[in-house]
Amino acid sequence: MSTYQNSSTASQPYSDPTPLPANVPKVNELGVTSAPLKSAAFFLGAYCKEYNEDFMLCKQENRDPGHCLKEGRRVTRCATELITKMRENCLEQFDAHWNCLELNNQEYYPCRKPERTLNKCMFEKLGLTKAIPGSPKGQKAIHEVEKPVFTTVQR
Amino acid sequence: MPVPWEALIPFGLLTSMFAAAGTLLNTSKRAQNQGKPVRYKIDTWDDMMMDRDKRLTGHVRGQSANPIAPEGFETSSSWYTEAQ
Repeated sequence: MSTYQNSSTASQPYSDPTPLPANVPKVNELGVTSAPLKSAAFFLGAYCKEYNEDFMLCKQENRDPGHCLKEGRRVTRCATELITKMRENCLEQFDAHWNCLELNNQEYYPCRKPERTLNKCMFEKLGLTKAIPGSPKGQKAIHEVEKPVFTTVQR
Repeated sequence: MPVPWEALIPFGLLTSMFAAAGTLLNTSKRAQNQGKPVRYKIDTWDDMMMDRDKRLTGHVRGQSANPIAPEGFETSSSWYTEAQ
């Protein structure tokens, strides 16, 4: 597709014709869309912490896309591993939670019930907990509060 | 004594027309969003994620929990073609 294709009249989606260089190892991209990713977000943070931090520090040095390819591949592999494990162990709760998120503008607050079952399953099977970084120290984190002020129906 | 029920017909017509227009609009919006409610307060991040969802599933509201991406996903990003 080296010629110009007008996107409003193109019959096929855009496809980059430049081939990947031979010295770049191939890693399968993550096929998870936004809602399941949002559901798994805090578990990705817990499981892949070192790789994510490595990548972010590398990007801070230099924003050129070619600079952080190795760290990026590690992040992708770690995320794929975690999603595969989540699907093996907690598929029902995971599906329930991200379907609930999809029906609620992908916001966490209306979906606390499926979230609690998912957190419980993830803790039992994989030992991962959801921890919100930056939540105030003295109080419970918002996802653990029994009767939150802000819900779908005004109290 | 006869009650002037014909006078209430316009009120009934107005109410039913409002109801029909509202229902039709709601159904049309839901149909465009694959049966789910419309997404609101979409920021640049959500825009980017919805574009990624379109590349992965074919529809901006399509979702999939498959860990491996489909065939053409790696080369379908038009990010590099955008003006700097």
